Amino acid sequence: MMVWPMVVAAVVSAVCAVVGTMLVVRRMSLLGDAISHGVLPGIVVAVLAGGRPGGMLSTVGAVAAAMLTVWAAEAIRRRARLSEDAAAGVVFTTFFAAGVVLISLYASRVDLDPGCVLHGILELAAADTVPLLGVAVPRAVVNGLVALAVVTVFLAATWPAQLFAAFDADAARVVGVPVGFATTGLLAMTAVATVASFEAVGAVLVVAMLVVPAATAELLFRSLGRVMAAAVAIAVAAAVAGYLAAWRWNTTAAGMIAIVLGLCYLVAVLAAADGGVIPRLAGKGWLAWRVACEDVLAAAWRREEAGGNAAATPAGLLFRLAGSWLRLRGKVEGPTDRLALTDAGRGEAETIVRSHRLWEAWLGRNVELPVDHLHPPAEWVEHYLGADVRRRIEEEVGPASSDPHGREIPTERG
Amino acid sequence: MTAIVELHDVTVAYGRRPVLWNVDLAIDEPCLYGIIGPNGAGKSTLVKAALGLVPLSGGSVRFFGRPLDDVRGRVGYVPQRESVDWDFPVSAIDVVLMGTFHRLSWFRRPGVRERDTAMACLDRVGLADVASRQIGGLSGGQQQRVFLARALAQEADVYFLDEPMAGVDAKSQERILRVLSELRDRGSLVVIVHHDLRTAASWFDRVALVDMRLVAAGATAEVLSRENLARTYSGHLDLLDEIGRAMQTGRRTR
Repeated sequence: MMVWPMVVAAVVSAVCAVVGTMLVVRRMSLLGDAISHGVLPGIVVAVLAGGRPGGMLSTVGAVAAAMLTVWAAEAIRRRARLSEDAAAGVVFTTFFAAGVVLISLYASRVDLDPGCVLHGILELAAADTVPLLGVAVPRAVVNGLVALAVVTVFLAATWPAQLFAAFDADAARVVGVPVGFATTGLLAMTAVATVASFEAVGAVLVVAMLVVPAATAELLFRSLGRVMAAAVAIAVAAAVAGYLAAWRWNTTAAGMIAIVLGLCYLVAVLAAADGGVIPRLAGKGWLAWRVACEDVLAAAWRREEAGGNAAATPAGLLFRLAGSWLRLRGKVEGPTDRLALTDAGRGEAETIVRSHRLWEAWLGRNVELPVDHLHPPAEWVEHYLGADVRRRIEEEVGPASSDPHGREIPTERG
Repeated sequence: MTAIVELHDVTVAYGRRPVLWNVDLAIDEPCLYGIIGPNGAGKSTLVKAALGLVPLSGGSVRFFGRPLDDVRGRVGYVPQRESVDWDFPVSAIDVVLMGTFHRLSWFRRPGVRERDTAMACLDRVGLADVASRQIGGLSGGQQQRVFLARALAQEADVYFLDEPMAGVDAKSQERILRVLSELRDRGSLVVIVHHDLRTAASWFDRVALVDMRLVAAGATAEVLSRENLARTYSGHLDLLDEIGRAMQTGRRTR
């Protein structure tokens, strides 16, 4: 295994993650896609003119081509009344195709591999070295670090404008924040990041590095600074992991890195504490369990009130499990289908029934419903009322009153 | 005396179709100024045209007798709440801080002074306790108040607010109206786009009635010939809202 290709991958991933964060939070991922493809003819022309991929000349070419892509897409959208995504789609695929055609036309004169365009060749990018402090450092690492510095300095210089323009461009424009400059600059930085990554990961897979780390980080964090820091961390980790996996299975490193990024995103979608699939399911399950336990307790309280000969404990697997759990906690006792409250369980049960009857009383006063329609909504709402709201409801319906069925509402316990 | 805002024969067209015809409007003194009209009447467009956010097909706009570019920091804008992405990863205080950004130079970040200003503005709209909350977690009324706090932090002389009362709870409405009145009392002009005739009559000092053109402008009572007083809310909505939210999260109310 070689270390330098891994360093190349980590550096370009970091650059892309920084720029990509701004694109993703501005909902401009599509423009990132367009730019990363649109730069190709710019790079090819620069190489034809004697530049090297990743060098100064091709950076200039790439930025020019990127600006042309964005401008053309915008112009088409306005004139042809095409939607934004369709306009961008038309333009960047055409630009990209032009780049591919140029490469094959001048194959003998252009030092660009079609495979390089598709997924880059990390080992090749790492093989071209320059001496730096006595160490042979891959040119791609130097280029990547320079790009990282340029991008970071630009964003730092324009940070308030970037933030304001990203969140609320109209209000920013009114007070004179340079929204246009911030946006154009961001697009140019996207081109810089793309051209720095081009040799290592190609024009196609660079999209993954722009978009996926930021999209993943956005699921996990709620402040822009943290999203960006997390995006960089995810990008670098995925670069290292992807490179190691590619080395282990002897396949393309860029492809493997993109797959690792995709997996990171999947994990974030499943596990994000706030709205992730797993926490949501867990929340639903926990709620169902709480409701079942409370229903068992309330049924036992009602039977006690009616002198022991009213309805049985609710049937069903969940209720039986809930009953067993409550018995274990010492809140109920007796036969499974006729559970009775212990002193420890009575207070909790009473609170549920109190919530139920208070809500029936409130509905009876405020909503035109026949009396026999009041039970189902109360059966549902009883599990959600806290002490404060119960007190407010009681204030409204009057203390020590009875529910619309004429049954007494238990008083609040201390 | 030069008007604070003067629209002279302003026409706005989308494509070739004018949506706002030849508006002549001058506002001379600080007040709560309502821009009233039905849906699709061009109220928002009128404000955006005044602020240079949509191109004018004809006419001109002046602030304090000068073009907007000369006085940008003195003019503040609160767009419709739906116009921004509330999932954006920033906290309430971060949004309010944006109000101070036009005073910052390159490489400068908001410092202690800006933070103090922002915090004081959040406090004025009654949201100091949610300063570090991500904005997506706030209620609609709170989001609108965060927007208002950002405008306050700007310390402008003229404010334009687009439907600040739309989809906002009664408590927030009251708070917003109070803060806007304070702004007027300190000498700012507050222009508010509003669609509800009932409340307009009691809230605004002066109004302009807009329906693709300027129908009438002047003192509220004269422009709105029939007055309908706002219906008072009984508090049931508050309660139902609170319980509904509890049910959504699966937790109990307070």
